[in-house]
Amino acid sequence: MPIISDRVEIERKPKLGGGGPGKIPHRRGFGGGDDGDRGRPEDFRSRNQRMRRYRVAMVLCLVSVTVVFVALTFLYVFRLGKGRYDEDAHQWVRDWITLKLPYLQLWANSLVLLLSSATLELARRAMDKKEEFAAMGIVPPRMKRDLPWLGITLLLGFGFLAGQIVVWNSLRHQGVYLVTNPSRSYFYLLTGAHAVHLAGGLLALLVAAGGRLFALKFESQKIAVEVTSWYWHYLAFLWFGIFALVHFARG
Amino acid sequence: MTSGENRDPSLRSGFQKNRYFFTTDHKVIGRQYFFLSLAAVLVGAWLSLLMRIHLVWPHAAIPLLGEIKPENYLAQLTMHGTLMVFFVLSTVPQAGFGTFFLPLQLGAPNMAFPRLTAAGFWTALISFLVLMAAFFVPGGASGAGWTQYPPLSALASAGPGQGIGTDLWLVSIGLFCLSSLMSAVGFVATTVRHRAPGMTWMRMPLTCWSWFVTSILILLAFSILLAAVILLMLDRHAGTSFFLPGGLLISGRAIAHSGGSPLLWQHLFWFFGHPEVYIAILPAMGVTSHLLSVFARKPVFGYKAMVGATLAIGALGFMVWGHHMFVSGMNPYAGFAFSTLTTAIAVPSAIKTFNWVATLYGGRIRYATPLLFSAGFVSLFITGGLTGPILAQPALDTYLHDTYFVVAHFHLIMAMAGLFAIFSATYFWFPRMFGRTMDERLGRLHFWITLSGAYAIFVPMHLLGIAGHPRRYSDLSGVQYVAAMAPLQKFITLAAIVTIAGQLIFLVNLFWSMRRGPAAETNPWECGTLEWTPASYAMSERPGEWRPQVSHGPYEYNLPGAEKDFIMQDAPAS
Repeated sequence: MPIISDRVEIERKPKLGGGGPGKIPHRRGFGGGDDGDRGRPEDFRSRNQRMRRYRVAMVLCLVSVTVVFVALTFLYVFRLGKGRYDEDAHQWVRDWITLKLPYLQLWANSLVLLLSSATLELARRAMDKKEEFAAMGIVPPRMKRDLPWLGITLLLGFGFLAGQIVVWNSLRHQGVYLVTNPSRSYFYLLTGAHAVHLAGGLLALLVAAGGRLFALKFESQKIAVEVTSWYWHYLAFLWFGIFALVHFARG
Repeated sequence: MTSGENRDPSLRSGFQKNRYFFTTDHKVIGRQYFFLSLAAVLVGAWLSLLMRIHLVWPHAAIPLLGEIKPENYLAQLTMHGTLMVFFVLSTVPQAGFGTFFLPLQLGAPNMAFPRLTAAGFWTALISFLVLMAAFFVPGGASGAGWTQYPPLSALASAGPGQGIGTDLWLVSIGLFCLSSLMSAVGFVATTVRHRAPGMTWMRMPLTCWSWFVTSILILLAFSILLAAVILLMLDRHAGTSFFLPGGLLISGRAIAHSGGSPLLWQHLFWFFGHPEVYIAILPAMGVTSHLLSVFARKPVFGYKAMVGATLAIGALGFMVWGHHMFVSGMNPYAGFAFSTLTTAIAVPSAIKTFNWVATLYGGRIRYATPLLFSAGFVSLFITGGLTGPILAQPALDTYLHDTYFVVAHFHLIMAMAGLFAIFSATYFWFPRMFGRTMDERLGRLHFWITLSGAYAIFVPMHLLGIAGHPRRYSDLSGVQYVAAMAPLQKFITLAAIVTIAGQLIFLVNLFWSMRRGPAAETNPWECGTLEWTPASYAMSERPGEWRPQVSHGPYEYNLPGAEKDFIMQDAPAS
């Protein structure tokens, strides 16, 4: 049952738009962005403002990354179905060679990436907790489970990249090179593009982890970890997409 | 008003390294973009002049350059297109004026990520220099057109400019993509997070709306171009065959590549390329809407419809790339779908055009130079737009695609209309950007020369196209039916020479006014948006103090009962 206000006067919704003749000018207090915590001039550099700013930027980066990988997926599928025209036989031939993927290694890599995602989440939560304590003016107690999660994530991240190099090497030993066949080119392209993006995330985490070294305040460190964690989880998700693509659409 | 009193603190005389190289002040970066584009447009216009002269007098010796060979012509064609599309049309209306005025119009002290914005400019500058370097390498600049279709662009042995010249082109455009992405992230974050209190979405000036939508288009489109450029680089240097089919012969020798598809590049390129058209024209539309309202002293007709049309154009822009590929051997059913969607863009475009005319209708129009150029934009947009639905029909496009008809179409609607919006924005915002006023009489002279020149150049080109004159060829004087069109070509060239010469008036006016023009008033056009408030001038290099309280819409002109004929957005609510 909604509570009916005892105010008899109905607040008229201000007309949106350019105003102009015949339009009711806005009343003060209406609008003003999207949330309540803005308005004071000095809070531009506040933690919340900065965090929100960086979150918007990260969403935009993710949009951009998504577009690229969607496009690469389309290329992959397009090329898979297309084949090529054989000049001598005068007919279309299917030239896609099915890849023999090193599944064991790929699953191991997936596990490492998944773990790194989990440890990064733990790192983020640990920092959250530290920040909360700091806001209350308490020195955060050292907890038993307070492992250096960020460092572990970094290790796992590098482990994943190393694992990918092992995958590429094992393919190379089978005689599968970037150039041999379009199916191979696309495998290297998709996994390579993913690895490059992941390396970018690792770089950001490195900067965040070495916060003191780069003269980062705790606040900036926190923002970096938070925003990078979005990116990182997204890349983990993307990895499974790529894995599924090269597995199910292997031709 | 005396000089100095209302000059922006970012306008210091004298050169200071920290102010120009390591600045994160959006007003300085905006001006830097402006001058970058000015340099690009000068080179681009010079190239178009060379091409026009070569088309009419194929064997004329140009001073210092000598006779233009066919490969030089192709290189000029490529570089003209690249410079004008990337470094002029998608740089100055968006990154130039946008970086300067988006925070001011939103009431924000700076861009959301000042250092990212600055990095965006410096990347764009490096990208420009890399592109210019292509003129000076062995073989010269790339000759594969601004669309860089493979296999021509993918094989270094395919032509003189296809070696290092094309590599430089690809590196330059890759850097440009990065620069645009960096800049666009700042734009969206500023619009979403940095609006002043009271600056609701529906109180944003239409310029801000179009910068916002354009930034989203940039994020989606330039990411794809960056990926495509990297793939093409791999084809060129890593031996992959994404875009190269087998069985190609170059100088009698078969290439080693096989299994790729040149159509893939076209899909990727035009998935970027068509939104790119709107990246160039949406900010121009925003500026036009803004200016028509200011100079007609009337609110924009149908503000919400304008916003909706901007969003619709942005969304539809991603669904029509196939109309550039009707003659590429695409599936005819796909052609039908692309044709239908393309025709659908006429709806939001017509809404905008109707609203512009309706904004002017019954207004107390002040015929200043910025208004003339804005009206010129509307005129050129209609003229160029009318041929759009014609080219959207696959049956007609098959005939017209490789003729001058297409050249005329996109030059009118994109190049000329875009340029007119850039000019109107320059005349309009010059007092705010440089603290001085441009000469009104020279401005009007410049307008009439440019408007008549634009029509004199591009209307006859439609006729050339309908008569079947192919585009992109350096010299067709040996072909009989084409040779019969030589007088028309000569007329176009003469018109082009006069029009480009007329731009010297603009340059003189610009640079003279920058140094010697009369000091500008704080709000010379009596415009209601925030960039003209005294407080926005006073905001110094330590931003953060400026936080206007917005209580009015952006276009409150001639409100009944108001004391003046305009209300500033940050005026107290009545």
